[in-house]
Amino acid sequence: MTALLLGALGLTLSLVVPGVLAGARWPDRAPVAAVALWQSITLAGVLCALGVVLAGPQELVGELGADRPAGAAALVFALVVATVIIGRLLVSLVRVSLRSRARRSRHRLLVDLLDTAERHGELPAEVPAGLRVLDGELPFAYCLPGRSPRVVLTGGALRVLDAAQVAAVIAHEQAHLRYRHDVVMESFTAFYRAVPGPLRSRAPLDAVHLLLEMVADDAARRRCGAAPLRGALALLGDAVSPDAPADLGDAAAERRRRLDRLAVSDRPSATVLLTLVAVLGAAALLVLPTVIVVLPWLDRALSAWPL
Amino acid sequence: MALGDLEREVMTQLWNAGEPLTVRQVHERLSRDRELAYTTVMTVLDRLAKKGVVTQQRADRAYRYTPAQTREEMTAALMLDALSAAPDGVRDAALAHFVGRLDPSALTAAIEAARKGK
Repeated sequence: MTALLLGALGLTLSLVVPGVLAGARWPDRAPVAAVALWQSITLAGVLCALGVVLAGPQELVGELGADRPAGAAALVFALVVATVIIGRLLVSLVRVSLRSRARRSRHRLLVDLLDTAERHGELPAEVPAGLRVLDGELPFAYCLPGRSPRVVLTGGALRVLDAAQVAAVIAHEQAHLRYRHDVVMESFTAFYRAVPGPLRSRAPLDAVHLLLEMVADDAARRRCGAAPLRGALALLGDAVSPDAPADLGDAAAERRRRLDRLAVSDRPSATVLLTLVAVLGAAALLVLPTVIVVLPWLDRALSAWPL
Repeated sequence: MALGDLEREVMTQLWNAGEPLTVRQVHERLSRDRELAYTTVMTVLDRLAKKGVVTQQRADRAYRYTPAQTREEMTAALMLDALSAAPDGVRDAALAHFVGRLDPSALTAAIEAARKGK
């Protein structure tokens, strides 16, 4: 019974819930809490899978009324599968983080060699330490996370943005670096790659990415105001989109959402309430699989208590 | 002076030269406006060669160094790397963009256009 319950919960968490949450619009107003909720949904899904594996075989043997060797074999089988699941996740995590570390360090080397920041007088007076300028016409900006982080702007971005907009873009990228959004993204990427094909879903990956952009937008808005950030978003987006293919519709929609939420300022009380509800939900999700496993066991243990 | 800055200046000299340079030639060009040890330049060039950013050829008992790519080629390649996703279409967590999801083929075209327009 335990295994069935956990299985149903796990499938719901990995197949149904992501679609619903990805379609919801409230996370735009409390992106930090929504990221926490996504993390707990993913982790609870893993816990459910482990629970099924550990409880399932023994329960099955119990139902069939088999003898001791079968029970022992079932237990061994369960442990092996659980170990494989955990091992797969860990291997995927190590692989993803090694790969991005290698890519970053190569990228950092080249961007340092090509840097032309000294020749750009239009940069803000106090240039942050890790700022680099790439001489290219394509206007965009990005950051290179890690122990020695960089914020990279192209010459094209400096040409289309005014000083306040440049400051807003830098603030946005620095928020990514400060809150280590790369670690959050890496964990979701690792999970995505570890899950077998039919069960895997892009929804968490894409939703969390957008939410992290919103978190960085909020940090930039607090430091530089909403207007320059909106301006920068519109200008940098338009600069890339003219001959954009159809599947960039997603990117345009994502930008629309970011622009829309920057146009209004929420009442703090509403945000606090949403955040509270989402965080409580996240905590409950993590507790649920544990309770499902532990309760029957506790029940049995109590009934066997010699009093 | 930080090692990174020195590496950048050495590369700039090699890019500006347009021909392979010896350690001595790079050293001469860099010491016009400052004190710099010959061995430091040698070490920097050696490091850059190990990283594959410059190539080393032996000619007349001296090593000559050239950039592996022109400045424009390297910039274009770097921009492409910054904007492209992993082979399975998953956005790489290595870099975070300001603009969001982008299509690599459209960007290659844009980068090419930008290079030709210069």
